[in-house]
Amino acid sequence: MYGGDEVSAIVIDVGSYSCKAGYAGDDTPKAVFPSVVGSIEQTGETDEAKADKEAEAASDSKNGAKPMDVDKAKTKRKLYVGQELEFRRDHMEVISPMKDGTVTDWDIVDNIWNHAFRQRLLINPEEHPMLIAEPSTNTGQQREKAAELMFEKYKVPALFLAKNAVLTSFASGRATSLVVDSGGGSTVVAAVHDGYVLQKSVATSPIGGEFLTDCMMKSLESKGVVIRPRYSFKKKEVGPGEYKVVDLDLPNTTESYKLYCMRAIASDIKESVCRVPDTAFDEVAYANVPTTSYELPDGQTIEVGADRFKIPDILFNPSLSQTIPGVDGFADSMSVRGLPRMVIDSVNRCDVDIRKELLSSILLSGGSSSILQLKERLEKEVLEESSGNTRVKVLASGNSVERRFSVWIGGSILASLGSFQQMWFSKAEYEEHGVSYIQRKCP
Amino acid sequence: MANAASGMAVDDECKLKFLELKAKRTYRFIIYKIDEKKKMVVVEKVGEPVLNYDDFAASLPANECRYAIFDYDFVTEENCQKSKIFFIAWSPDTSRVRSKMIYASSKDRFKRELDGIQVELQATDPTEVGLDVIRGRAN
Repeated sequence: MYGGDEVSAIVIDVGSYSCKAGYAGDDTPKAVFPSVVGSIEQTGETDEAKADKEAEAASDSKNGAKPMDVDKAKTKRKLYVGQELEFRRDHMEVISPMKDGTVTDWDIVDNIWNHAFRQRLLINPEEHPMLIAEPSTNTGQQREKAAELMFEKYKVPALFLAKNAVLTSFASGRATSLVVDSGGGSTVVAAVHDGYVLQKSVATSPIGGEFLTDCMMKSLESKGVVIRPRYSFKKKEVGPGEYKVVDLDLPNTTESYKLYCMRAIASDIKESVCRVPDTAFDEVAYANVPTTSYELPDGQTIEVGADRFKIPDILFNPSLSQTIPGVDGFADSMSVRGLPRMVIDSVNRCDVDIRKELLSSILLSGGSSSILQLKERLEKEVLEESSGNTRVKVLASGNSVERRFSVWIGGSILASLGSFQQMWFSKAEYEEHGVSYIQRKCP
Repeated sequence: MANAASGMAVDDECKLKFLELKAKRTYRFIIYKIDEKKKMVVVEKVGEPVLNYDDFAASLPANECRYAIFDYDFVTEENCQKSKIFFIAWSPDTSRVRSKMIYASSKDRFKRELDGIQVELQATDPTEVGLDVIRGRAN
């Protein structure tokens, strides 16, 4: 704590791809780590588990660097969070707490929070107010669950739940805007008016960065490229600058872990070479585009050609993904729309008086918003699809860090304001009014 | 109350100056700023009635956020003298994120204190608060 009523709050944003946590007032989150965790089913008391537990007990006293065991009796699984996931373990499955942008497994979220507080930020949650960024689609029930967990388990002194779209909108200086948040697991379009999310305008699509990564991976596979996960081989230097790659045989590696590691590589390929085409992708026209080379971790060099443009174009034209061998169709293909369609539909569900204003401040945020040329293409297509001479402006912070972390940054500034201290949902209020009071304090 | 509001208070002077502009027409414009130490919105500057739009535009800092009230006089097609009171949330793209966040999260509460705003604008560059925009929104 420093000076008067200034409180060093903690801001945490658990997205579908990564978790961002840090101190309020900072420019960027201190800790950024994957939102997926490794899980090993514990069948009975094996020697390994025993040893692990002993090690844990020993390290706990030193404010442990070991992962927490979840309610051992009930779930009988051991979760590995953060860097723990970097090491391959036999039988370790990779699981996510979210599905379609909302939390489905609170136990994992609990572990992620715990990891963030105690192993990354090294703080005692009982001493710090917490500002949690939540998806605009969160239900009342989910908000209460989050509040209950924070007050009962972590015993936080105060809490606030802020909506992603509102934080992004405010951080760009607008109380009214249309926020297009293209994250890892999904893309969400939401209209914000005077600081309120207009619930009826919220449109979601399962097409986010991870889906594009999968498409990239499948497309490369169909062309005969084998992506070897980093753990599956060893590089030996046989001469100066010359390496020999030796495959390792690890039969107990789970399919989900292998996929997780391959995705990490495919994701990097995507981030390095992809660019949104200026107009809709056309297989014939792009057949002869110059290729870009990319060196895989095992040393082989691949050439990426048309996929550089095709993969990002899936954001605009989801059906394009069906032309890639091995990509699953959407369960409900009607709900999957391209980005410009989502924007127009979302705007049209708002009051006629504010549509113009929304179209003139479309904000791009989230990890996938960093794809080159996304802003220009979206602006062009929305302009074409909107009627009349409406002014369409798509905005994205020039700074890619600000774009990626806009939600967290918004929360960080808000929670650090002296005037905000009266806005917190305090522990005393929780005890007096109960958990449902969160709906009043953080509407 | 909006989600994620800053809790910034409003100095009484803000309201008083606005009422004077509205009822007595003693000002052409009022510029408001947020005083973070005082945790409230305060009046930064007022413009005399003889000043015009250009004087007002010149009073908005290029790289900092502000709120502003502008009393716009115009003549309708039927040759009728009219005026409209504009509320402008000025948040230039070049200003700091912190400043943008503070002004945007305090706006809803502040605006509620000023009863009688007829047109509202949010502007991030000078073209969005140009005289043509104001003229267009007045009708």
